[in-house]
Amino acid sequence: MFRNILVPTDGSVLSRKAIKRAVQLAKEQKGRVTGFYVGPPWKPRGNDESIPYRMVSPQQHAATVKQAADRILDTVKKATAKAGVPCACSFSTDDHPYVKIVEAAHRNGCDLILMATHGRRGISRLLLGSETSKVLAHSKVPVLVCR
Amino acid sequence: MFKKILVPTDGSAPSRRAIKRAVQLAREQKARVIGFYVGPPWQLPVYGEYVPPEVMSPTEHAAAVRKTAARYLGAVKKAAAASGIRCKCAYVMGAHPYDEIVKAARRYRCDVIVIASHGRRGISKLLLGSETTKVLAHSTVPVLVCR
Repeated sequence: MFRNILVPTDGSVLSRKAIKRAVQLAKEQKGRVTGFYVGPPWKPRGNDESIPYRMVSPQQHAATVKQAADRILDTVKKATAKAGVPCACSFSTDDHPYVKIVEAAHRNGCDLILMATHGRRGISRLLLGSETSKVLAHSKVPVLVCR
Repeated sequence: MFKKILVPTDGSAPSRRAIKRAVQLAREQKARVIGFYVGPPWQLPVYGEYVPPEVMSPTEHAAAVRKTAARYLGAVKKAAAASGIRCKCAYVMGAHPYDEIVKAARRYRCDVIVIASHGRRGISKLLLGSETTKVLAHSTVPVLVCR
């Protein structure tokens, strides 16, 4: 039933747990895992009057995001390689990760999104993470929410 | 990974789709399905001093809930039988379905809850159902939210 599992990750401890589950599920279902990371977009800081002290150029920013994505998606690659599950990884930048996550699920033909209840910004067990709840609201494919 | 799947149902069309998914997942995972229905509790409709003449007695109410449960859970039993998987059904009465669902997941030691994004009360595709949101917030096991 689940042939291609999308695992959005932000590198947090909980999302690593989600990766573990995704790999296990993919192995049992003989499916594949698609790792996905959404970085922050480039934004010029400051306004016209002030020239910021340290400004990051778009190129520098892209390089930083790529570095972060490589590091974070590496956990997905390692986990899948260990379990012998085929894996593809990609990343993107956006202010609103959920938009890109839903898009990525559609583009890659994923039939399940597996994500943690909350990532970096969730504060409590009783609250769902902001991105998770938005993905739940906008996704067309089933979402498995892990603790 | 999943050995026991809890499927709460309220008889609505989205929850029937969730049943289908749960049964399919159970077949692939060689798991069993537990159908679950939460009926409304008995309440005495009292409007000030006035008690309406045709009031359901607690026993009548229990019988009505049993009948409804049999109808809704019959769909689960039928789907499970058609796929040849083991199935058990249960129902309780409670004012807060999410609470009963989370408790049932613990009582039957389920390792996943398969639930529709909304049931009877969901008004829009963009909103999650109220009970689904609450189950997501309170559940200790993974929750698969189906569209």
